[in-house]
Amino acid sequence: MSDIVLELKDVNKIFGKGDTRVHALNNVSFSVRRGELLLIVGSSGSGKSTLLNMIGLLDRPTNGQVIIDGTNTTKLSDNKISEFRNSKLGFIFQFSNLMADLSILENVMLPRSIQGTTKNSEKEAIELLRAVGLESQMQKRANKVSGGQAQRAAIARGLVNHPTIVLADEPTGNLDSVTAETIVRLMKSMAKKLNQTFVIVTHDRHQFGEVDRIITIKDGRAFEGEDVPSKMELTT
Amino acid sequence: MDYRVQLAKRMLSNKKGSLIGAVLAVSIGILVIHVNFVIFQGLYDAIVRDLSSYRFGDVRVTDEESFITKKSDTFLVNWFERIPYVEAAAPRLDSAASINVTKNGKLIEEFKVPIVGVDPFRDPRVSTVANTVVDGQYVLSRNSIVLGSSVAEKLGNAQVGDSLELKVTDRHGQDKIKRFLVSGIVQSPGGQGLDTSAIMHIDALRDMMDRHGETGSVMVKLNDPKKASEVKNYFLRSFPNDDFEAETIEESAEDALRGFRSGIAMINMIGLFGMMSSAFAVVTIQMMLVSSKTREVGVMRAIGAKRKDILVIFIVQGMMIGALGAGLGTAMGLGYTFYAKETKMTFAGSIPLEVSYDWGKVSQTAVMAFFLAVAASIYPSYKATKLQPVEAMRYV
Repeated sequence: MSDIVLELKDVNKIFGKGDTRVHALNNVSFSVRRGELLLIVGSSGSGKSTLLNMIGLLDRPTNGQVIIDGTNTTKLSDNKISEFRNSKLGFIFQFSNLMADLSILENVMLPRSIQGTTKNSEKEAIELLRAVGLESQMQKRANKVSGGQAQRAAIARGLVNHPTIVLADEPTGNLDSVTAETIVRLMKSMAKKLNQTFVIVTHDRHQFGEVDRIITIKDGRAFEGEDVPSKMELTT
Repeated sequence: MDYRVQLAKRMLSNKKGSLIGAVLAVSIGILVIHVNFVIFQGLYDAIVRDLSSYRFGDVRVTDEESFITKKSDTFLVNWFERIPYVEAAAPRLDSAASINVTKNGKLIEEFKVPIVGVDPFRDPRVSTVANTVVDGQYVLSRNSIVLGSSVAEKLGNAQVGDSLELKVTDRHGQDKIKRFLVSGIVQSPGGQGLDTSAIMHIDALRDMMDRHGETGSVMVKLNDPKKASEVKNYFLRSFPNDDFEAETIEESAEDALRGFRSGIAMINMIGLFGMMSSAFAVVTIQMMLVSSKTREVGVMRAIGAKRKDILVIFIVQGMMIGALGAGLGTAMGLGYTFYAKETKMTFAGSIPLEVSYDWGKVSQTAVMAFFLAVAASIYPSYKATKLQPVEAMRYV
């Protein structure tokens, strides 16, 4: 099994045409190793969410390749992409995005239900809910728990299918600082415990403290680490 | 339970307003069809019932030459009553007469009236005219006459015991005049009976018309009216060389019912349009449901649900709306039918409707409403599948 689980090769994303054309991602290339916790940072409008949408196969690049677990996803059909998202990727959104009509437990089990592999899914979901400290809340409706609890349930949902990569888009963006700290601690501990790859997009790098790796996005370009060349250097 | 079915159920039950609205739209469509059926089919069947029981029977035998001369009425009645499907048969003779009534030697009124000659013993077995006597008694003897209520009223409120004069033109063109004693007055609900006729003994009428042994028609009542065509065809096959004509009640009443049938077809069309309107209401409500679940659709797509899965969720919602609407509408429709039957509902306060449970039509209406609701969900469901996850999740 290759150690590289995600590879981006010259990924470009262009929105609009003519005068309204925006080059949101500009020849972005990098790779991520298994078990790595990668932070993608950048200011608002830098293109980091667009990048996450490309990695999460929620949007297609204008050109370039997104390779996940050795598969070039660029040419996959809509159905194959859905299957791929379900089995290889876990998602944690800013607003938790739990299904309000389902209980916390049912929400965590949902990716397994979609996959059709319901065997042991309840048991595994309960184990995950125990791990994120939500065992006692699991029968509650998703809209009846606090923001922090909902986000912990979203982490459990992101992990239930044993995905290759968990993608988190501003997972603490909607939480108070104390709850945000708990969520960050939880994600880091799960990453370590399960040797799980995390790709986290955030505008608040300091909340995450020590991480394996950081990529900074600026004006649609990706730079390794937190130090970004100045605008002058970029244009020359 | 499949997660899509469970999710469809939860989504729908958490949007009670939309659910109730959609279910009511479907059920009211069904109720309209049931009410139309009870009233208009009930009225149609009531007319058929009354024409059958007062005038034609289930099968009516006549002769091409207006009068049955080659076989006696006794022969024909006995022939029919040997058939197991036949309950009874009776002869009738129809004519027209000029009728007048005098009180204290003074002529009150004189006018033309249809005359029906009946066998007083056999007729009550095939016809319910005898049951419509509201005063006095049915035809007792050759000297008695029973007046329809309209005739009695026209004759200046003639009453039982009054004497009246009847003038009939016989087969040779001679006027025959005879006095009769009014033995009874008949009045039927809805006036479908012999309210505008006078009823007398068939032999008395034969005497006046000089048509001894002749009969106008034979009314045949069956145990099972559905066998009418079979009995009619058997009769015609048995007398191929006579000039008999035989008609089932539908054929005899064709003239009276032709216009009515077109009316029923039109009313059914209106009912179907009502159901189509219900389908449009379901489309609108489902569009609202899809719109309110945009974010959820985006999330589901992001975590791996295929377009097909989203389609299934909203189609299942349509099926649930259809099933609940069809169930409720059918229950309301059957409730109304039960009420109409139990209360012997009358049309415009006169003819009691002939209310029946047509289970074929009940199931057909429910199934049609169900499939219309499902069909109405297809477009909103298709729209839901077109939502791109990245766009849908921006919808907070």
